[in-house]
Amino acid sequence: MDVFFQQLVNAIVLGATYGLVALGYTMVYGIVQLINFAHGEIYMLGGFGALTTYLALPSGTPAGIALPLMLVGGIVVSVTAAVIMERFAYRPLRSAPRLAPLITAIGVSVFLQELVRNFYPNAKAARNFPQLVNPDYQVKLGSSVQISAPQLLTVVVALVGMVTLSTFVRRSRTGRAMQATAQDPDTARLMGIDTDRIIVTAFVLGAALAALAGVSSGLQFGQVDFHMGFITGVKAFTAAVLGGIGNISGAVLGGFTLGLVEVMATQYAPDPFSGGAWKDAWSFVVLIIVLVFRPTGLLGERVAARA
Amino acid sequence: MTTQTVTETSGARTAPDLGVLLTGAGAVLLAVSAFLPWAGYAGFPGKMTLSGYPGGARLYVLLLALPALALLRPVAGRAAALRAAANVELAVVALTVYFVAYAGGGFVNVGGGVYPAMIGAVLYVVGSRRLPATEAVAEGMAFPDASWRFPVESLVVAGTAGLALWLFVIGLGMPISSIASGSDLTLGPLSINDVANSGQFLAYVITIAGLALVAGRLGLLKSLTIMTGRHPKLFVAAGFIAAAAFPFTQSGSGESLSIAARIGVFAAAAVGLNIVVGLAGLLDLGYIAFFGVGAYFGALVSGSVTSVTGVHLPFALTIVLGGLVSGIFGLLLGAPTLRLRGDYLAIVTLGFGEIFRITVNNLDGSAGPSLTNGPNGVSNIPDLALGSFNFGANHTLFGIDLSFQSNYYWLELLLLAFVMTSFLRLSESRIGRAWVAIREDELAAAATGINTTRLKLLAFALGATLAGAAGTVNAHVVKVAAPDSFTFIESATLLAAIILGGMGTVPGALLGATVLYLLPEKLRFLHDLRLLVFGIALVLIMRLRPEGLVASKRRAREFHEHETDPAAEAVA
Repeated sequence: MDVFFQQLVNAIVLGATYGLVALGYTMVYGIVQLINFAHGEIYMLGGFGALTTYLALPSGTPAGIALPLMLVGGIVVSVTAAVIMERFAYRPLRSAPRLAPLITAIGVSVFLQELVRNFYPNAKAARNFPQLVNPDYQVKLGSSVQISAPQLLTVVVALVGMVTLSTFVRRSRTGRAMQATAQDPDTARLMGIDTDRIIVTAFVLGAALAALAGVSSGLQFGQVDFHMGFITGVKAFTAAVLGGIGNISGAVLGGFTLGLVEVMATQYAPDPFSGGAWKDAWSFVVLIIVLVFRPTGLLGERVAARA
Repeated sequence: MTTQTVTETSGARTAPDLGVLLTGAGAVLLAVSAFLPWAGYAGFPGKMTLSGYPGGARLYVLLLALPALALLRPVAGRAAALRAAANVELAVVALTVYFVAYAGGGFVNVGGGVYPAMIGAVLYVVGSRRLPATEAVAEGMAFPDASWRFPVESLVVAGTAGLALWLFVIGLGMPISSIASGSDLTLGPLSINDVANSGQFLAYVITIAGLALVAGRLGLLKSLTIMTGRHPKLFVAAGFIAAAAFPFTQSGSGESLSIAARIGVFAAAAVGLNIVVGLAGLLDLGYIAFFGVGAYFGALVSGSVTSVTGVHLPFALTIVLGGLVSGIFGLLLGAPTLRLRGDYLAIVTLGFGEIFRITVNNLDGSAGPSLTNGPNGVSNIPDLALGSFNFGANHTLFGIDLSFQSNYYWLELLLLAFVMTSFLRLSESRIGRAWVAIREDELAAAATGINTTRLKLLAFALGATLAGAAGTVNAHVVKVAAPDSFTFIESATLLAAIILGGMGTVPGALLGATVLYLLPEKLRFLHDLRLLVFGIALVLIMRLRPEGLVASKRRAREFHEHETDPAAEAVA
């Protein structure tokens, strides 16, 4: 049973990362119906932004100061990239047929990966990420169930990010404007909402959360890599669809569900198909099953289908 | 012969226009420079050190100066055509000078012809901008109904097909020092030769595009479209005869043929994807997986020693079965997801693509059942044999040596012909029109009585079947089926090929596939930056010409709904 609980802990940690990235997909999709394929790269840029910040700090900076600065650095890089991307790649195509921005998104995704691979120093292989939070420090949750400090940090950061976002969207004026734009952009504009600004806000919030995920995964695994955004991005999108795309609580729920499926399938799937080699395949199998039986996702989508 | 001549109304022949003078002077300088040496060192392709011989990129410079002959008579569209020619000329001169200087280790090593060329190019551009733009826009013209119309038109149509192929062959035959596969990122160090060859190839492509642009501005393309539209079968037949004759020009060498064969299979897959994306509007991000299903099926029943099945089926049966197996995967995947909105299909196909790659990577006997040899793939696929005809042997036909690659080249050509025919027959059928209706507006299509789910499923499964058949052929051409060939970037490249070329058209898919396959192979000087350029190119195409190079009329209108300028749709 201990194995099960230990895997449950791992699933929650993994799900927290997926959930954070999925929020960005779901917000942008909810408002402009765009699968922002490059969102996974925003997550990756967050990790590299934090790494850059760390390298710029004088050596010997205490972790208590370096860590918040790294988070800020990661967020700044991710948000800047997202704003530029929205302005120059997506906005000109807003009235184009839907295939056009999706293809642009694939282009941006390839571009950002290659940009980091070619121009970030020594980024052709994975780069070491500073182990500011000691991964050997384990918090005991039971007789043999434990969670490492970076994992704990990931969960805490994710929960804080999710709660903040949810409060922001429900309570603040801008948040309510976001909801209005998601429901009906034309009417929202008639009501005096600057929809362009709202769309940028959705990109910014999504990028900030993705950066948090990027930094915490760097802390967990001790490295960042130009390619890390692709598979995480695809899975986070899966999580968003799983929860019901356009639905903010759905993205979080979808993230945790996907994390659970992945970890448990790796542990308990029938013999030849268990183990790390198959974990990605299982996530997609679950996605297909969910779409067959509950195409609107677990919590149902908030946006109406538009022709 | 096909452009309208605008008669000068007033007899004001007092002083020639300044624009005409400058343009003419520029063109003359450029023509002269083509006969002077451009490089001060040996080794640049095109014998650039010789004078009196316009070789290599100098020939392109000369060709692009030729439209200036139109200055002698004010033909319709002259100013626009010369502006295009001048801009492209400037680009070609600048590019060539850059590459000559770069490959020679500095600007000091360029030859004397470079200076008149640069001055001439600038004059050409400045002058062409000052040309009086009073002439009428060129209109396409057809021959009057005369008894000699048919022979002349068929000659022109057939000649065009032949010319297109010939230009393609020249581009293909340009020297490259080594062939890198499209997704290979670990290239060796670059030699001067690689740089020089890349430069010449780039200049060649730009020149062809520029000359096509000039022909378009002069109305020649429109006339050609009218003529090919009147004899479509002749055009296609001429194209295929020219393509089939290609191996005879290779004098027994197989290098270009094997590249051409790979382009062929890539193009076949692109045309197949065009049914799914271009006609029915279903975004398939995992198309390469269906291709992979066919490839693995073909490899497993090929009788290869590395295949665990040990089965050896006749090749004709393999193609059919490979297509069917892939089609069944398409049905299984499409049936649940095609009821949903389009974006879900994109993500599910992407997921399927990943599952496929992971699965074939894992079925090696240790992480899963033993079937595909894991990362090594099924290799050593034996050569095909039809009766006593061995595909792996060189042959001699009509006294001409043919390397064994020509057998595979012809096989690919047959495959391409089959896929293209399927596409064209389908797109003109009731089914094809229903697909377009679904693509344009699914609700409206359903309201007119189209069973949208069933038809979407048909498009999806059919696309998968064609990809599977192409995959089985490809496995026998490249002799291996390995997981590395079926990654997401391959699917994205195929998608980019039909988008670049023009969605929903066959020439578009062919052109896009050729460009996207050849460019990475030829542009080795970009080295590691090739994918970066690919990403930027995708974004730029969507910004600047979302309907692609060869746009179907309907699609061009769709993308330029709010523009009233018909010129935007007229090009190419």
